[in-house]
Amino acid sequence: MITKQTFTQFGKTLKGVMLGSAVALSMGLTALPQQAQADETCMSPYMAKIVGQEDYVYVWTLGVIGVGDEQDKMVTVSVNPADKDYGKVINSISVGGRNEAHHSGFTDDRKYLWAGGLDTNKIFIFDVHTNPSKPTLHKTIENFVADSGGVVGPHTTYAMPGTMMISGLSNNKDHGGRTALVEYTNAGDFVATHWMPTDEKLNGAKKSGQFADGYGYDVRVLPRRNMMVTSSFTGWNNYMMDFGKLVGDAEAMKRMGNTVVIWDLHTKQPKKVLDVPGAPLEIRCAWGSDKNYCFTTTALTSRLWLIYEDDKGEWQAKDVAAIGDASKIPLPVDISITSDDNQLWVNTLMDGKTRLFDISNPHAPKVVFEEQIGKQVNMVSSSWDGKRMYFTSSVLSNWDKKGENQDQFFRAYDWDGTKLTKTMDIDFVKAGYGFPHQMRFGSNALYSKAPALKSADKIIASLSK
Amino acid sequence: MKKLFLLSIALFSLNVLAHNDKKDIDILQAPILLAPGYGPLTFEAPKAGTYRQPIYGEATDGKVINSAGTSQKLYDLMGDKVVLLSFIYATCNDVNGCPLSTAVFHKIKRRLSKAGLKDDLRLITLSFDPKHDTPEVMADYAKSLETQQTDWRFLTTESQKELRPILEGYNQTIQQEYDDEGQSSGTFSHTLRVYLIDKNKKIRKIYSVGFLHPDILINDVKTLTLE
Repeated sequence: MITKQTFTQFGKTLKGVMLGSAVALSMGLTALPQQAQADETCMSPYMAKIVGQEDYVYVWTLGVIGVGDEQDKMVTVSVNPADKDYGKVINSISVGGRNEAHHSGFTDDRKYLWAGGLDTNKIFIFDVHTNPSKPTLHKTIENFVADSGGVVGPHTTYAMPGTMMISGLSNNKDHGGRTALVEYTNAGDFVATHWMPTDEKLNGAKKSGQFADGYGYDVRVLPRRNMMVTSSFTGWNNYMMDFGKLVGDAEAMKRMGNTVVIWDLHTKQPKKVLDVPGAPLEIRCAWGSDKNYCFTTTALTSRLWLIYEDDKGEWQAKDVAAIGDASKIPLPVDISITSDDNQLWVNTLMDGKTRLFDISNPHAPKVVFEEQIGKQVNMVSSSWDGKRMYFTSSVLSNWDKKGENQDQFFRAYDWDGTKLTKTMDIDFVKAGYGFPHQMRFGSNALYSKAPALKSADKIIASLSK
Repeated sequence: MKKLFLLSIALFSLNVLAHNDKKDIDILQAPILLAPGYGPLTFEAPKAGTYRQPIYGEATDGKVINSAGTSQKLYDLMGDKVVLLSFIYATCNDVNGCPLSTAVFHKIKRRLSKAGLKDDLRLITLSFDPKHDTPEVMADYAKSLETQQTDWRFLTTESQKELRPILEGYNQTIQQEYDDEGQSSGTFSHTLRVYLIDKNKKIRKIYSVGFLHPDILINDVKTLTLE
């Protein structure tokens, strides 16, 4: 059977034809960052992308007491309708214990998937290229705190050329929100720590408003503008606290991030601190070559913010829309930008809704669709063409809803531009896996293999004959 | 000569597109945007000496052959100068791949004296296709680039046995490509990387397409010489 597979990297789109195990792979590995689409491009622009049918969704899942083996695990779901196991979990690899599994990200060559634990500070590196249907645990970084000089809570694992940039959430001095970006090589060796600018130590950055809190959360880049951008959440003391208790603790609630920082991407020097009050979380940047802006949402104030470069080349932050009724604390979580930069999916944890914003005018977004996904919802991932949407539920082990409101799922939908039609629904607790969090896509065709030769060594050996 | 060189790259690319169109009509639907390295930088390159370049690990040694056919160690070409190391294959047909790194090196070559780096920088272009890229082929490759007045070395390896540990050491991923019948196409997909290596044989920067620009590389080299 011939299966069309389409890939892109940095906006260069190529189609390959897969015949059995023979794959004509994209040459776009050396192409340019210019345009990108959907959740595949919510990741790093330095990475090979799947723009056809994804084969697998890798779900980084929190271990839960009383559920299965109670360990954090990487769960693989088959999502290609052509696969005999379509809609089923086909692999699960436990990592030993519970680490507060949270986010994950591929290396730029997409051979390894890095997944962080916010509590134990371990980073688990999974091999996803040897057998994409069955990831294996390749290596565990155990010394993140010591390596980095005191950074706690490895959050975003983001591909840079030959390296991974990891945004921290906290520190080991007071377990508050002051933190840093930490760089590792793809091989897992520590490179450098880049501390967030604070009032006491701006590190050359310009403070543009009231705040320079030094907090961290997400990291994204716009290479064509030599720009890296980070957001800010809260420290270990808060993200490991019971959510109800936290909301009732006025002092703790003051210790939330209020900033977005613009960095020089090449030198990793902070340039400007922008006020974005209310814990700005996920960042998604537009990919059109003339669109120098990104979006973020604030968890506490339930607002959509635009981070943009103005006519004078200055980076600014602007509150551009409300997300639900802020007085009810819907708590915006994951967001996903669409292929043409015209729409943005925004999930809100507490009401379990996803909302689609029309962002064709980035300065005036409007809600055009809204749907309940579950009793709570966190992550949203879209296929490259925007036709398939995937949702998971868990946010943090101590913030997830409990008792009869517990609802822990992996749900997939087809999106036709006007309605979501459910295609998969896996109850991760009933199935014995735990609480599902970050999703990343996998594809067999990313890794070319000669049909008659099994190992890379043999492939290379054949070339030397 | 500069115009001629860029023209040759452009013509080469057009030929490649035509060739691919014949092979598979689906290939290359989208227009290719040339890498920043081919044109002016869209932002001001960070000033030399104003930033720190961390260590990304040890440069890897290995047995190589120069374009005159003489065997040597990669380390023989490191330690006395800052090195920019690029992996290519001579028949590479991705305009934003190997030809980009060669074009950027060529631009750097022309600016070395003015930048005051003539004695401080060595350019190394190393093939990862020893089967095709013999020392003679690499010598021919060099000839068109007029490198006589520059310390620009064109290297290959005896075989995959010598090459493989070097690629692994630099974490340079390559994948052989296959046609619809599963036969080797003679082309590779690879993540373009260029490595900046200091006089202590430490990797100080890894460049990919987005930042492979002569303005940036020259300032990064200067920054190392100022340490």
